[in-house]
Amino acid sequence: MTGPLQLDAETLNACVSCGLCLPHCPTYRVTGREIASPRGRIAAMRAVETNEAPIDDAFRAAMEECVSCRGCEPACPSGVQFGKLMETTRAALPSPRSRVRRGAEWFGYRVVLPRHWLLITCTWLAWLAQRLHLVPARVGLPRLSARSLARGLELPTGGTPDAWLFTGCVMDAWLRDTHRSAARVMGATGARLAQPTNGGACCGALHLHAGREAEARALAERVMQSMPGVAPVVVDSAGCGATMKEYGKLLGSADAHAFSERVRDFSEWLAHQAAPRLRPTGIQVVIQDPCHLRHVQKAHGAVREVLAPAYELLETADDGLCCGAGGAYVVTQPELSRRILDRKVEALRAAGGGADPIVVSANPGCMVQLRGAGIDARHPADLIAEALDE
Amino acid sequence: MCFPRSSDEVAAAVGVARRHGRAFVARGSGTGLAGGATPLDDPVVIVTTQMNRVLEIDPQARVAWVEPGVLNLDLSRAVGHLGLHYAPDPSSQQACTIGGNVGTNAGGPHCLADGVTSAHVLAVDVVLADGTATRLGGLEPDSPGYDLRGCFVGSEGTMGIATRIAVRLTPDPPCVATLLCAFDSVEAAATTVSGIIAAGVLPAALEMMDAPITRAVEDFVGAGYPRDAQAVLLAEVDGLEGGVAEQVDAIAEVARANGATLVRVAADDAERALLWKGRKSAFGAIARIAPDYYLHDAVVPRTKLVEVLRRVYEIADAHEVIVMNVFHAGDGNLHPLLVFDQREPGVWDRVHAAGTEILEACLDAGGVLTGEHGVGIEKRDLMPRMFSPDDLDAQARLRDAFDPDGVANPQKVLPRGSRCGELQRVPEGTWI
Ligand SMILES: Cc1cc2nc3c(=O)[nH]c(=O)nc-3n(C[C@H](O)[C@H](O)[C@H](O)COP(=O)(O)OP(=O)(O)OC[C@H]3O[C@@H](n4cnc5c(N)ncnc54)[C@H](O)[C@@H]3O)c2cc1C
Ligand code: SF4
Ligand code: SF4
Repeated sequence: MTGPLQLDAETLNACVSCGLCLPHCPTYRVTGREIASPRGRIAAMRAVETNEAPIDDAFRAAMEECVSCRGCEPACPSGVQFGKLMETTRAALPSPRSRVRRGAEWFGYRVVLPRHWLLITCTWLAWLAQRLHLVPARVGLPRLSARSLARGLELPTGGTPDAWLFTGCVMDAWLRDTHRSAARVMGATGARLAQPTNGGACCGALHLHAGREAEARALAERVMQSMPGVAPVVVDSAGCGATMKEYGKLLGSADAHAFSERVRDFSEWLAHQAAPRLRPTGIQVVIQDPCHLRHVQKAHGAVREVLAPAYELLETADDGLCCGAGGAYVVTQPELSRRILDRKVEALRAAGGGADPIVVSANPGCMVQLRGAGIDARHPADLIAEALDE
Repeated sequence: MCFPRSSDEVAAAVGVARRHGRAFVARGSGTGLAGGATPLDDPVVIVTTQMNRVLEIDPQARVAWVEPGVLNLDLSRAVGHLGLHYAPDPSSQQACTIGGNVGTNAGGPHCLADGVTSAHVLAVDVVLADGTATRLGGLEPDSPGYDLRGCFVGSEGTMGIATRIAVRLTPDPPCVATLLCAFDSVEAAATTVSGIIAAGVLPAALEMMDAPITRAVEDFVGAGYPRDAQAVLLAEVDGLEGGVAEQVDAIAEVARANGATLVRVAADDAERALLWKGRKSAFGAIARIAPDYYLHDAVVPRTKLVEVLRRVYEIADAHEVIVMNVFHAGDGNLHPLLVFDQREPGVWDRVHAAGTEILEACLDAGGVLTGEHGVGIEKRDLMPRMFSPDDLDAQARLRDAFDPDGVANPQKVLPRGSRCGELQRVPEGTWI
């Protein structure tokens, strides 16, 4: 059976509709609607795939409301590969009717993201707008710093380092200081670092989630070429890391599989090095696990491991439910994204004992999202850099 | 379909349904295994997922008032800091609602010692079929009059919709131990079950899984379940430290006497949690073996366990279908799972035939139709097998007293023809 969506029949059939994934789905949690749940989405895919239902606006909406957080995957005892189903489904959706939307998507995915200089230019414009108070706080754009933007990352480019620090696109434009922290901490272990030629630029994660598989593949090839050799590829953005770890699956080539094997989240890499000396700070921080770190990379344990010597760690009671950032999701589904965020903020505050806590999050998307809600969100690299006992 | 946020909105939804001559069906998380929440004939579906607040917690009286859409596990979490929990723990507890638990009178592994949902529900505010609201039961130990609360719990939405529920909270035990025992045969495991009870130990939970299920859940959780065992028992005892140690020894002794190949006590909470996660994922994990399953929920006397299990495997063999067993062994609540791939031609007839025969075998051994999942549509047409026409008539009249027009979840639980004088006709069972 392959129908209009070209889904793998075995993967689709693996769902027995038990519902154990429901509480782990952020959109189901905030709406209580079956069609906003993994089980409901799979049922809808199945109906389309067997030609019992058309690909209509309701179907498209149901698919687009999914954050692609993949919280449903580790929750599923049947091992349903939901991420794969969703990516394939989105790739099969006809392009949207709205011209404005098509134009905006083209500009974002095809023009800006693949061209790092253009993204940096846009970021300068955003910086200017921010200075002129044209950007409302709830957008969650981090406070851009001209000093940081003007200065490159003080790392050699290319060569044969002990480890690569992948710099990426949005993260490098908006949160370059976090890369600096990561470089400092990694340097403190004695490792020789380098950044990729052309910065590695965009890893294609956002494209993949939007069902733009061909573009994602091209970007993946470029990223792989920018960091040759056998040295570990260290990524301080959980979303990018998750995608890069799945390049093997995306491209199917032996090279891609070998590359994916080299990819490490920042904390994951650090946990396997001779630990740099840290000073106990006595500061309490609440941990927010980015979905793609916890559900896809399953590397959230490492964050705790590397932070524990310096900070007092507090956990939320929501099983690592998504914060609603989801890459482009904030922009495409603002209303749902905000409701998911509200829930997250409540859980973070509860974990922090009511007052506004410092929150640690290993993904730029989540950091920006949380900061938009007034939460003091930091990256593990920033926190560790602060606690370095040099 | 509607998503009310309050009792008033539920009443309004019922009102709208009535004005348009429609029936209505309550729905929680839709994890029910008997099709109780499945809409038949275009009813108004009243979904309680937005009514998900814990309204009041009284730690002294150990009572909480909750809305029906609160998830079972969320309730336990909400009172965890008080050293309390909500005892009935269906394997679906992370996903199912308290309202659905009340609807099906749900049980769970820990109901062996603590009792099923009915024993933990003190009062229910319900919206009746005519749209009026009323309270059944009360917080006093002995409410005057008939126990209508008891009637409502397990009524599967056919007597109205619960909109607020007062539940009893249970103190966390001071000490807990979980044992994993493995055996070379299903019989040995089943004999151990009766042996444990005969030795005077009443574990908090006593669960059994056969080989295929054990391997499937081990693939998912990696909790260290032995892949080569023919059956495993998961036993939990709780109480004061000394007592727990004694019970652990007693269970281990019985298990070894029955040829256990492994007796392991979980070293810490993390290991315990993982073992339970495995057991509670069993139904979901079977898709690793085949995409569809057909499940029964019969209860047989514990003393007949060995014999009935043997019959179950024989029947499955005769019909050439795969059967797997995972169940609440302590109270004889069997869950024989027939797994299959519905794309295989003719398989459904064989599964159906095997399922019916298995159920007959359970009833013949003095068992009952359902332990916890309810009757719904699925077991409805088997009711006459267990109840006499007079029994069914009495039940139908009870239902009529709550819902004279038959608009609350119609066509569920009682087969057509339950009322005396109606034509007896048993329609084809529906597979959910
Ligand atoms: C993996 C898995 C494991 C399971 N394990 C167990 C187990 O160990 N023990 C067990 O007992 N069950 C088990 N079940 C079955 C199921 O989870 C329970 O029956 C549960 O109580 C159903 O809750 P729900 O919220 O999903 O209700 P639903 O499925 O939505 O509804 C169930 C029934 O209750 C009625 N109902 C729902 N809400 C209300 C309300 N507010 N007022 C009145 N009636 C209402 C519905 O009309 C329907 O008849 C399991 C199911 C799965 C998928
Ligand atoms: S947990 Fe898995 S099998 Fe169960 S409903 Fe969700 S996706 Fe389907
Ligand atoms: S990926 Fe996330 S949002 Fe999408 S269905 Fe799964 S849990 Fe829900």
